[in-house]
Amino acid sequence: MQKIEIFRIDSLSRAPLVVHGYLFKGSNPKAPSIAVVGAMEGNSILPLYCASSLVDFLNNKIDKERIEGDILIIPSINHYALNIGERYWPLDKTNLNMMFPGYGLGETTQRIAQKLFDAISHYNYGISLETRVDQAHCIPHIKLLKSGYEDIESAQKFGFKIIHHKDLESTDTVSLQYNWQLWGAKAYSIVCPSEQQVDTAFSNQILQAMLRFMGKTEIIDYKLFHGYQSNILQKESIEIIKSPRSGIFIPYQKPGHYVSNGQAIGEVVNALEGNVVHKVTAPCDGMITCMFSNSLILENAVAFRIAKIG
Amino acid sequence: MTTTEIFTSELPVGERFAIQRTRFEPQKAGSKKIKRISIVSGIHGDELEGQLVIYLLAKWLKENSDKIRGIIDIYPAVNSLGVDTITRGFPLYEVDLNRVFPGGENEFLPGQVVHALSHDVKGSDIAIDIHSSNIFLREIPQIRINKEFSPTTLPLAKELNCDFIWIHDAVTVLEATFSHTMNSLGTNTLVVEMGVGMRLTKEYGTQLLNGILNLMQKEGIIESDEQFENREPFTSEIGDVFYLNAPCSGLFVASIDHCAVIKKGDKIGDIVDPLTGSILAELFAPNKGILFTLREYPVVYEGSLIARIFGENDAEN
Ligand SMILES: [Zn+2]
Repeated sequence: MQKIEIFRIDSLSRAPLVVHGYLFKGSNPKAPSIAVVGAMEGNSILPLYCASSLVDFLNNKIDKERIEGDILIIPSINHYALNIGERYWPLDKTNLNMMFPGYGLGETTQRIAQKLFDAISHYNYGISLETRVDQAHCIPHIKLLKSGYEDIESAQKFGFKIIHHKDLESTDTVSLQYNWQLWGAKAYSIVCPSEQQVDTAFSNQILQAMLRFMGKTEIIDYKLFHGYQSNILQKESIEIIKSPRSGIFIPYQKPGHYVSNGQAIGEVVNALEGNVVHKVTAPCDGMITCMFSNSLILENAVAFRIAKIG
Repeated sequence: MTTTEIFTSELPVGERFAIQRTRFEPQKAGSKKIKRISIVSGIHGDELEGQLVIYLLAKWLKENSDKIRGIIDIYPAVNSLGVDTITRGFPLYEVDLNRVFPGGENEFLPGQVVHALSHDVKGSDIAIDIHSSNIFLREIPQIRINKEFSPTTLPLAKELNCDFIWIHDAVTVLEATFSHTMNSLGTNTLVVEMGVGMRLTKEYGTQLLNGILNLMQKEGIIESDEQFENREPFTSEIGDVFYLNAPCSGLFVASIDHCAVIKKGDKIGDIVDPLTGSILAELFAPNKGILFTLREYPVVYEGSLIARIFGENDAEN
């Protein structure tokens, strides 16, 4: 394993931000290569932990000869945000994942994106570990942008329950995944739950999915149990359940649970008087993929997303 | 004059969130079709210059209600939660509202907010979206125009009494802005950038007020004997914009005033290190022209924008 410096930025009063990548050189020059990017934001606890767990696995838990293709892991890009509880780039609050492919003569975050992208753009496969932008908890899943270059078939190899095949929005054109695809890599985002405490059930699932993928693409000689045969979800396959009232949100069910049409799945309580002001019921049979992550819910906020079945 | 809520949402704990609009209409309703203009500000909660401009405009309209010949809608604080809390993005979500247009009724709250705004402004002949840069940079009063829409928006921009018109190429990510959305919906929309975040620049407020009154007069939305000041702007068509970014991190100390006419090689400022009393970098103008953007917030990282200079195309540049 080589620890390589991806970039370094000085600060007026803070210690320099030094971002490292962990490079595992493969034993087989014909094997494909993969790069994994962890936390780009300060609230990305699972992306950070899953990436660093992967470094540990490759370092300490697998024979070196079984690493066939080159693997580069960059667990964190944004230590500055992680260390002070900020979400985005602490000075100007810009989102690094909206700066790609980057620009070496531009603003600080454009330069960071450019240096990062330079280090990873030539890999065959790319994984960006992300969390949702909005206030929502979801089950771990693949987000694959409809860029015209995306590869659904290989995305199945992670074995997640769900691949969200997402319509391209204008702001997606500056994301890492999109630009990675444009440069010829097969790139995927793994959307991790945004909890601020590590849930090892989720982190295990995500780590296994990455290892399963690397096994199936013969980047590592390591065969895990099969995962799910992923369901590909488009916008139409998701039912959105909004809360017509604001207040304290008490969900009865969690992402990953199956629910039936008409089932009570949560309630909203008046924050000052404690009475139930709204009962949330499932409008269809399906599996909850996503749920509002804050106990204080806003009027018209999306309380649940349910992937329809039946 | 009527004030309406164009979007409301109950917040979780005993508070109601609303976006408000005030409408000014002619005293006597006529039968002929009248023009409508919408003035929007506060999409970014830390930009306050628009508050002053809209205050001055509302005051003028109230005092001159007999001169109103069209519909004037004002929306001073789109991101009202942000305006009152020094928050640029939409609080809780930390998203830039000017990157989630056109939004939709089924989207997350910021998406619903921008949808409500574009839905309400839709049908206006003209819209003006007033921004005040951010807390980092100070700007002279300028209009930003997407090349794609410039045939219709440029003539209007020239009536706004601003100093500079910057015509830029189309960028995909900017399709998620208010101005792109409204221009696509047929409302000629202009973006004004002026001043600096979290502050008011009084003379700019009066300058843009005059511009808006001048434009409304030309468009027949108001009818007054007054002649409103309209200065001749320079446009980016006749030159280029040069960028000066910080070559290193540190504390930026400017040596010149904002909006200065500068020569190539003029000193712009230093980046210094207070801990050791050393100058880390001396910054000089890369070309001659007008320095229309200047760093206001002194803490810089490598890459932070320090200045933008507009220079005419000539031998020296
Ligand atoms: Zn703005």
